[in-house]
Amino acid sequence: MKKITLIVLILAFFTNIGNAAEVNVFSARHYDSDIQLYEKFTAKTGIKVNVISGKDKALQKRIVEEGADSKADIYITADAGRLGAFDAKGMFQNSMTPVIKSAVPKNFRSTNWTGIAKRARIMYYSPERVNANELNGMTYEGLADSKWKGRVVIRKSNNIYNQSLVASLVKNVGKKETCSWAKGVVANMARDSKGNDRAQILAVAAGEADLAVANTYYYALMLSGKKGAEQQAAAKKVLPFFPNQGDRGTHMNISGGGILKNAPNTTNAKKLLEFLLTKEAQSHIVNNTFEYPMIDGVEPHELVKQMGLGYKQDLNTKVVNYEKNQAKALECMLAANWK
Amino acid sequence: MYLRKINIWYLSSFLISVAVAIPIVTVFSSFFESTSDYSSIIQNTFLYEYIFNSFSLLLGVLILTFVIGVGCSYLVSFYQFPGANFFKWALILSFAVPAYIYAYSLTAFFENYGTAFTILKNIFGEGNYNSQIPKFDGMMGAIIAISFSLFGYVYVLTRASFHYQSQNLIELGKNLGFSKQKSFFKIILPSARPAIVAGLSLVAMETLSDFGSVSFFGISTLTTGIYNAWISFDDLALANQLSFYLLMFILGLFVLENLSRKKAQYHSPAKGGFKKKSKSILKGYKAVLAFSFCALIFFISFLFPVLQMLYWTIIFPKHLADLNLIELFFNTTILVFLSSIVLISFAFISNYGNRLSKSKFLEILTTFSISGYAMPGIILAVAFITFISWFDNNIVAYFKLETIKSIFIGSIIGLVVVYFIRFYSLASNGIKSGYLKISYSIDESAYLLGYSKFKTFKDIHIPYLKNSILLIGILIAIEIIKELPITLIMRPFNFETFATQAYIYASQDLLEAAAAPSLFLILIASFFILITSRYILKD
Repeated sequence: MKKITLIVLILAFFTNIGNAAEVNVFSARHYDSDIQLYEKFTAKTGIKVNVISGKDKALQKRIVEEGADSKADIYITADAGRLGAFDAKGMFQNSMTPVIKSAVPKNFRSTNWTGIAKRARIMYYSPERVNANELNGMTYEGLADSKWKGRVVIRKSNNIYNQSLVASLVKNVGKKETCSWAKGVVANMARDSKGNDRAQILAVAAGEADLAVANTYYYALMLSGKKGAEQQAAAKKVLPFFPNQGDRGTHMNISGGGILKNAPNTTNAKKLLEFLLTKEAQSHIVNNTFEYPMIDGVEPHELVKQMGLGYKQDLNTKVVNYEKNQAKALECMLAANWK
Repeated sequence: MYLRKINIWYLSSFLISVAVAIPIVTVFSSFFESTSDYSSIIQNTFLYEYIFNSFSLLLGVLILTFVIGVGCSYLVSFYQFPGANFFKWALILSFAVPAYIYAYSLTAFFENYGTAFTILKNIFGEGNYNSQIPKFDGMMGAIIAISFSLFGYVYVLTRASFHYQSQNLIELGKNLGFSKQKSFFKIILPSARPAIVAGLSLVAMETLSDFGSVSFFGISTLTTGIYNAWISFDDLALANQLSFYLLMFILGLFVLENLSRKKAQYHSPAKGGFKKKSKSILKGYKAVLAFSFCALIFFISFLFPVLQMLYWTIIFPKHLADLNLIELFFNTTILVFLSSIVLISFAFISNYGNRLSKSKFLEILTTFSISGYAMPGIILAVAFITFISWFDNNIVAYFKLETIKSIFIGSIIGLVVVYFIRFYSLASNGIKSGYLKISYSIDESAYLLGYSKFKTFKDIHIPYLKNSILLIGILIAIEIIKELPITLIMRPFNFETFATQAYIYASQDLLEAAAAPSLFLILIASFFILITSRYILKD
């Protein structure tokens, strides 16, 4: 009998025992600063935030398999394409509240998920080797122009940020055009695609290429000195450029989240999403991750401001639609032998 | 006759083997469901790319680990040179560095404006050194990262084999009038072949199941292909195809390993013929060469990643201060402790069951079930989750019982179970080789003295195998400290280990912040290696 009691006790210890005031977050976007943010939320509301972070698709698989018994309330990840794909599987529920609706512009949310912070996928150039004339009127489409032969670096085709960027091209210029564009880009590459976004910027700084494509926050991260003095100096050797200013605007993306279909703590989950969209939380996020705030009235980080804020954002290509064209985008890139 | 064999030991052994085989069966059975159109996008050409990349990676790693492993063990086994005794155990410290942390270090050091750049700048002043610094990324990076973290298998096994044969063979060579070179290639190397093959096949299995470093370097191998097809795109047909090829690779290795193990038995030292003689002493430039080779390997395999992580930990002290060391240590320890106990006890029971029943069927089943070792951890974990959810939805729900998902998914229990499946072969093989040394006549004498089967097990086998148990426990500990993908997906809420903490930082492109947890991970694993080094290198 003693043994049985002991086993039950041990089992109870190791299986998570439900707690009334809690919300469970599955996050594929792991910022250390997020934890501090959740602590603020707990201090305010008394709701405990439990977190599991991990690889995007593996976490999704776990949520899907746990099904109706899943304890996950909110799923947070970077890239609208990922959120859209998970939503297409029917994994989210209506996550909207009046507060979220009024805080987040329509373009950056669907009914089932919302953006939490914004980023732009822009170009970086070497002012020594690229003159202003060359960049005049530069667009994403222009990356396939033969004048950039051997001068462009961009990461691999399996990268979700690239897939969303190319999906927005599919939406705007059609699949056929995009596929031939992808061939042009591959022909212009200074090297086979490798490394993360920061590695692309570094390649331009080091003279391996003249033009890189990367998200905005990577550049600010390097400028901040958090990556060391060398990288800070390297970042200063390149300049950011916001493409497509003459037409639809620069490609925007989000990191965001939604409430899951089988969430046990829906009310708490909504409270957390709303909290993430308050001024306090937003300024905490943008100052730690160098993303753009999702709501009005919050200043981005000083370094992000220096990159320029007055650029035209592409608000016509809805981030909600990235998912729909991602398969076509990937097909074009693979057909072009984009590594 | 056959039924008589089936007793409680037989049954436990049978059940353990079946349990371990579950995820492997799940991987294959779940692929016969519906499928998406990912394969139509990915086309057949990419299938060949996956196979080609896996093959190139395997070949590169095998060549490199062969040269490093055999080279080092040859030098420290046959020669006396300055530092030889130090290198003998220092070289196994490479086990403490997981391939993914090695990959972080390679990138940190060699990337544009990386640590190498800083060093050159500090010595020679400003300049564009980026183009002169070699870049170890992509396939080359993965081959190096995996080779230097795995060559220890070849080194340890080959050294053991050399040790038993050493001087007799050299003398034989001398008597035949062979040069040192000729002796090495004609006598020493062939005689150690079974051990070398055994080491290389362990390396090969770990290489095929590697996920961390190949995905860090963005190489499409069969393993990342299965992950993408199955987990990202729900394309079960393609995942099945890729798994089939992976399994073919693995089966080939298994056969190879088993054959070499059998042969190895003939190479164990004959009692009378083994003469212990002093090693030849190297002098002059030869001593310098031998020292330099070992020093270089020790530096590249262990000091280099440690120094890179240490450097970052020092210049970015904030990240160290942010680390909740006590919690990370506690979490890591509890996983190690529980898993070792479970693994060792079950491996014991199963091996004793096999010993009692002497059943060929059980032996084959055990061999099959230990293939979990060659299954990539991430695939194993997802297969386990899939199985539990299938079992829960169909069987548990049918009997209207409480759901078991929360007991096995996102819990310590679940983690321990999947570790169990992954590392069972390690424990089982370890106990098995210990058992081979206990003669059956000892068991029979015990029975004659009136010992029950359980008492024989408890009072004779366990004390006899004490050292084996300690060694296996520590090998398991080292593996679990380094383990990443299973922990990442199976762990409970708010639960981090050194490995997951390092991954989380690395995945947000903050390799600097990943340095502190990586460093602690290496140090703890090194500690375990040092306390077992005398067993691993037992003379």
